[in-house]
Amino acid sequence: MWDDEQLLALLKEALQDNQTVPPDFFQTGRNAYAWHGVDDELAQLSYDSERDLDAVAGVRAETAPIRALTFTSAHLTIELEVGDDALLGQLVPTGEGAIDVQTQAGVIATVPVDAVGCFPISPIPPSPFRLRCRSIDGPSVVTGWITL
Amino acid sequence: MRDDPAVIALVTAARDGDQRAWDEIVERYAPLVWAICRRYQLSRSDTDDVAQTLWLLLVEQLGKLRQPAALPGWIATTTARECLRVIRTASRYDHTELTSDSQLDPDSSPQIEQEVLTAELYAAVRAAFAELPDHCRELLSMLISDPPVSYAEISATLSIKIGGIGPQRARCLDRLRRSSSLSAFIDSERADQ
Repeated sequence: MWDDEQLLALLKEALQDNQTVPPDFFQTGRNAYAWHGVDDELAQLSYDSERDLDAVAGVRAETAPIRALTFTSAHLTIELEVGDDALLGQLVPTGEGAIDVQTQAGVIATVPVDAVGCFPISPIPPSPFRLRCRSIDGPSVVTGWITL
Repeated sequence: MRDDPAVIALVTAARDGDQRAWDEIVERYAPLVWAICRRYQLSRSDTDDVAQTLWLLLVEQLGKLRQPAALPGWIATTTARECLRVIRTASRYDHTELTSDSQLDPDSSPQIEQEVLTAELYAAVRAAFAELPDHCRELLSMLISDPPVSYAEISATLSIKIGGIGPQRARCLDRLRRSSSLSAFIDSERADQ
């Protein structure tokens, strides 16, 4: 398949391909594994106004409406509205509990969920982040990573 | 390279909690992520954001990848999507017009497929090289160094006679060609044709 000259040239390319990448770029990837094995139920992104409206309309509106995201797991739906400087969340079904805001650095804030399932998060966390919902009477649910 | 056993083994081990397997996945495919971000001309900080999101998504998806062997394709497509998202977000703020979205659509880009194939080949070559005995790695490294190193210098550094370099080079390249990583790659290429 390759003669000696070709193989040597290929080896050179392959090693150079690796050397152009800064070492800390690899480290970012290795660090992500710290999030492996968290046992919470995962709520997947099921609706994103930006993605889903674009798909329907084919073009983007000049002024973006408020962005809305929905995450769904077997037991819980988490709705999020993205405001200018805060997120407004809603749990369905409603239930009291607390929301941990996680970034790759760890939990950066914890906010209470009120009696009708609402929770404001301010300021908007740095991306990517995710929300872990600890409800009083159900399993904990964690959203997928969110980048705004 | 639809079913590289090495990739399947790495995904399975990483899913089961083996950090070293995960590190190996990152080692293999971070250059692919980097190359795709370069193609989209992202800044270094946007590139870091894309990579961070990509690896977090992958950690989350490890147990759910239906075809672990398709990992490189998944990484490439997901990286391209994240790059596009970053570009779209930026263009919304500075009002510069993008080239048509279809040109940037990761799913319709033949470049992605080529990038994945190249990344897989490079990763296989690097893995094969890492398996070589020290004397082969030293010799081959000197033979491909830039600027080139003379045979006299190689001879002095590695204590090989000048006349022995040629035959030694041939033997080491042959080992590289027959290594498990590369021969698996060659076999699957043949099967695809």
